[in-house]
Amino acid sequence: MSTEARALPSTVGFVSPTRRKVMGFVFLGIAAAIWLIFSRTTTPGVITTFTLNPGGSQNNFPDWVFTTLSALNIIAGLCALMGAYQLARGFGKSTNMVLGLVAGGFILAFLSWSAADNSLNLAGLLRSTLVRAVPITLGALSGVLCERAGVVNIAIEGMMLASAMTAALGGSLALNWMEPPYNLWFGLVVGVLTGGLLALVHALLSIKYKADQIVSGTVINIFAIGITSFISAKYLAKYRYLNNPGIFSDWKIPGLSDIPFFGPIVFDHNVFFFGMVTFLILLHFGLFFTRWGLRLRSVGEHPKVADTLGINVFKTRYMAVVLGGMMAGFGGSYFTLGSVGRFDEVMTAGRGFIGLAAMIFGNWKPFGSFGAGLLFGFADMLASKLAILGVKIPSEFLLMAPYVATMIVLAGVVGRGKMPAADGQPYEKET
Amino acid sequence: MSRKLYSLGALLIVGSLLLAACGGSSAGEGTLVCQVTDTGGIDDASFNQTAWNGVEQAIANLGIEGQFLESQEQADYETNINAFIDQGCDLIITVGFLLGDATAAAAVANPDQTFGIIDVNYLDFSNVTGHDFATDQAAFLAGYIAAETTQTGIVGTFGGINIPPVTVFMDGFWYGVQYYNNENGTDVQVLGWDPAAQDGLFTGNFDSLDDGRAFAESLMDEGADIIMPVAGPVGLGSAAAVQERGNAWLIGVDSDWTKSAPEYADIVLTSVLKNMDETVYQQIENVIAGTPSGALIVGNLENGGVGIAGDFDVQSLIDGIVAGTIQTAP
Repeated sequence: MSTEARALPSTVGFVSPTRRKVMGFVFLGIAAAIWLIFSRTTTPGVITTFTLNPGGSQNNFPDWVFTTLSALNIIAGLCALMGAYQLARGFGKSTNMVLGLVAGGFILAFLSWSAADNSLNLAGLLRSTLVRAVPITLGALSGVLCERAGVVNIAIEGMMLASAMTAALGGSLALNWMEPPYNLWFGLVVGVLTGGLLALVHALLSIKYKADQIVSGTVINIFAIGITSFISAKYLAKYRYLNNPGIFSDWKIPGLSDIPFFGPIVFDHNVFFFGMVTFLILLHFGLFFTRWGLRLRSVGEHPKVADTLGINVFKTRYMAVVLGGMMAGFGGSYFTLGSVGRFDEVMTAGRGFIGLAAMIFGNWKPFGSFGAGLLFGFADMLASKLAILGVKIPSEFLLMAPYVATMIVLAGVVGRGKMPAADGQPYEKET
Repeated sequence: MSRKLYSLGALLIVGSLLLAACGGSSAGEGTLVCQVTDTGGIDDASFNQTAWNGVEQAIANLGIEGQFLESQEQADYETNINAFIDQGCDLIITVGFLLGDATAAAAVANPDQTFGIIDVNYLDFSNVTGHDFATDQAAFLAGYIAAETTQTGIVGTFGGINIPPVTVFMDGFWYGVQYYNNENGTDVQVLGWDPAAQDGLFTGNFDSLDDGRAFAESLMDEGADIIMPVAGPVGLGSAAAVQERGNAWLIGVDSDWTKSAPEYADIVLTSVLKNMDETVYQQIENVIAGTPSGALIVGNLENGGVGIAGDFDVQSLIDGIVAGTIQTAP
C-alpha cells in the first residue's frame, strides 16, 4: 500500500522500455496497415473530396480535394517515421499524444480511402460528433457530481427520460401564456427541476434511509420509464398541443462563427452545447480548485475524516446529488427541446447509461468524461458516414463501432480508473 | 413493479375506451381483441399506432372490446403475450417482425388461442394469421416520386434494424429511383441502402429520435434532399432536422404523416402507406364470423393494403406493378 503510494509519482511521465517498444511497433503496424489495406487497393489518380462546411451553414469554405493515393502514402510514411523514431529514441512523455496523432492519421486515411472517387462532409462529421457528445457528457457530469460526493447514481437515464418529458410538456403548456422562444426556457426550467426532484428522492433513499444505492437508482429508472410511457400514451399522443414545444434555435457567436472551417463546427450550436461547455469548465474548476470542490471530494473519499473536520457530510451529499440530478435534467431536456421538439416513449434510448460509462471511462473527471463522450460520438457518426458511403462492412459491425472504440481506448490508453474511495457507501454518523 | 404500472396504465386506458365504445354496434359484443406492441409504443405515429387504429375502428363499428400492452424492451414480448392469454383474449395481435419467435412459442403452447401477427409471413400454424405487406410496391412509387422531385440528384434512406419488414421499404425505394433513372436517363443516387448487399444505414433501434435527427443531418450533409426514415418514431426526429434546414423533404412511412404528425405536414413529400389497420380490422371480422385462421392476409397495391399518400400521377406505374411487368424488389 505505502510502496504503491510512493511509487506513483515517479511513474508520471515515465515510459517503460517495454511500452516504448510496444508503442513503436504499434505505430509501424498502423503504417503498414494503411499501406497494405488502403494504399494497395486504391487506383492511382482517384480523387477524394472532403467538404469543409457543415450542411446548412452559410460559410463558404472551399472543398479539400486531393489525390487519394498520394495522401494515403504520405500518412503511411509519417506513421512509419514516428514508429522508427519511437523505436530508436522514444517520444518519452509525449508518447500518448503521438499515439493520438497516429490514430488520427489512421482514421483520416480510412476516411480518404472510403471516400475515394466520392465526397464526404468532414465538417458535418465533426459537428455531429460534438452534438452527439452533448447528452452523454451532461449525463457523465451528473454522475461526476454525485459520485465524487460518494453517492452512486445509476438513475441518470431515468432522470433524463423524465426531464425530457416534463420539459416537452412544460414548454408546450407555456405556449398558452408566453411567446416562443420563452416557452422553451420555461420548459427547460421544468426539466431541470424534474431532474432535481428525482435526485432528491434518490438522495433521501440513499443518504437518509441508507438504502442500497443501486436498488434506489434502478427503482427510479423503472419508475421513469413507466410514468413517462403512461403519460405519453394517455395524454401526449392524444393531445398533440401538449407535445409540441419547438426547438431551441442555434446561436451563431458573432465573429467566431465566421472562422473558416472551425466556426460553424464549434460556434454555431444551441443552448445545450454552450451550456455543456460552461458546466464542463465550471465543474472542473469547482471540483479541483475551490473549497467547495475539496469538501465535496473529501466527503466522497473519506466521509468520517471530513465529518471530524466539521464538514456536514449529509448536507454536502444532498447538495451534490440534487445538483447532479439537475444536470441530468438539463441533459434530458436536450432530447426534446434541443433535438427533436417532441417527446416519445423511451426516447433517451440508454444515453444516460452511456453517460455513466463515459464518467467511469473519464476517471470521474469532467474533461475525461467529455473526451469519452467525444470518442463515443465520433465513432457513432463515423459508422453512419461509412454506411452512407457504402463501405462493405456489415451494418451490425458498424453499430458496434462506438462500443469497440471505447473498449480499445479504455484498455489500451486510459487504463484502470480510480473511483472515489467511499463511492456507494452510506455514511453512518457515530453518536 | 414496472409491469404492474403498465397494466394499471393499460387498464385505465381500456376503461376509458370502453366508456367511449358504449353505444356502438354490437356484432362483436363480447369479443376481446388484445394487441401487444413493439418497443416503439402505441403512439409511435407508425406501425403500432396504425395497427391499433384497426382495433379502435372495430371497437367503434363492431362493438368489440380492445386492450393493448406496450413492450418497453424485447424481454417484454413473452410476458405481455402470456398476460393476454391468461386474460382470455379472443384474438391476440402481435405487432411486428421482432415478436415472431415469442408469438410462435405462444401459438405452439396454446393451440386454441387465435393470433394475428403483423409483418410475419413464415409462421405456419393453424391458429396464427400472418399479415404480410408488399410494401416494396408502395415504396417503389415513393422512390419514383423522390427521383422526380430531388434538386440535388441525391436521395437518402435509413432503417431501424436490418429486418425484412424494414428493408422491404428500402428495396422498393431504391428500385423506384432506378426505374426513374432508366426512363429519363438521369443519375439520381440513393444513399443508405445497397440492395445487392442487403445492407445500409441503420440506427439499431426504434426508440432514439435523437438518432433520427443525427442521421438525417448526416444524409443532408452528404447532399440528400429527400429522406425516407424507416424506423417508426425515430423518423420524427429526422422530420425535425429536415424542417430546421428547410431545404429538404421527408417521406413518411406506415401512415400518412401529414395526418399523424401534422406539425411536419409542410415538409412531408408523401408517405408510404401500410394499411395495417385494414388487415387488423379484417381479421377481427373473421374472428367474429368464425372464419378459421391460419392463412396469410396479404396487403398489396392491388387490394389497397399498401399505397402512397397524396395526389401523384402514378397510375401507369401501379398498373405495371400489379401486372408484374415492373420489378420492385430484388
